[in-house]
Amino acid sequence: MEINIKNIDPSQKEYIEIGCWRVNERVNEIVRFIKLRDGHVEAYKDEKQYRIALSDILYVEAVDDRCFIYLDKDCYESRRRLYEFESLLPSDNYIRISKSVVVNLMKIVQIRPALNGRFLCHLVNGEDVIVSRKYVPDLKARIRGDRS
Amino acid sequence: MKDKLRNILGSFFISVTLINIAMLVLGSLLMPEQRFGYEVFIYPIIYGVIGIIPALITRDGKELSVKQTLVKNAVQMLMTVALILAFIFGGHPVDRNLIMTAVFVAVSVVLIYAGVIAISWFLDKKTADMMTEDLVRFQNRSADKGT
Repeated sequence: MEINIKNIDPSQKEYIEIGCWRVNERVNEIVRFIKLRDGHVEAYKDEKQYRIALSDILYVEAVDDRCFIYLDKDCYESRRRLYEFESLLPSDNYIRISKSVVVNLMKIVQIRPALNGRFLCHLVNGEDVIVSRKYVPDLKARIRGDRS
Repeated sequence: MKDKLRNILGSFFISVTLINIAMLVLGSLLMPEQRFGYEVFIYPIIYGVIGIIPALITRDGKELSVKQTLVKNAVQMLMTVALILAFIFGGHPVDRNLIMTAVFVAVSVVLIYAGVIAISWFLDKKTADMMTEDLVRFQNRSADKGT
């Protein structure tokens, strides 16, 4: 596949154009990826599809084989896997804090101790999510700015 | 596994310190006239090792909620009480004096267990407060960058 990048005048609106013989799953995957990088992710609730701004996400949780996106008040289901979110969400603000949760660091109000060397992240909507012992050093390093 | 061992080791050293205090208090109350040789210094370590056995043999596979962790800690504490009572009084004839001493020992183990959890919690609280301060600075930096 040939990739063309064209410089355009700053007065013009930026765009991405895909030239393909037919729209297949591969093309859809590229579109989903671009939309995600553009600051939105597709999710589902009551069999309806929604576009969710990444900045609105509090945390993403994997339960069994399903993945749920938690906002301030709502919860949506996604067809993506947690590891996909981990790699696709902007790494500046999102971090894995347990086997099943990726959290938005901008939505944490306070960090509190839990038991057995674990911590609780108290979020802006009043919910708490657990930071596993294993992920505590990564979280410390990220918020200290040791790792970009 | 490495984190679990580090955590258990921390609990072990806190336990040994608290066991020393408990032995001093209990001994002064129950048998103030008793005198020991140097071998007495090994007992806090033995009790400390017995105290960490339940934590070592409990599996940590699933991510537990705070309530589940409390239940798990309570079960581990009861196992520790049973192990220490068996170690100290196992094979001795049961009489009124032994029962009274066993109750004091059991209460001491519970207090030590609670003490270990409380001390660990306060150490974690200090870490959590520092992390919250770092987090606020991180959020301010990110907001300045416009990310």
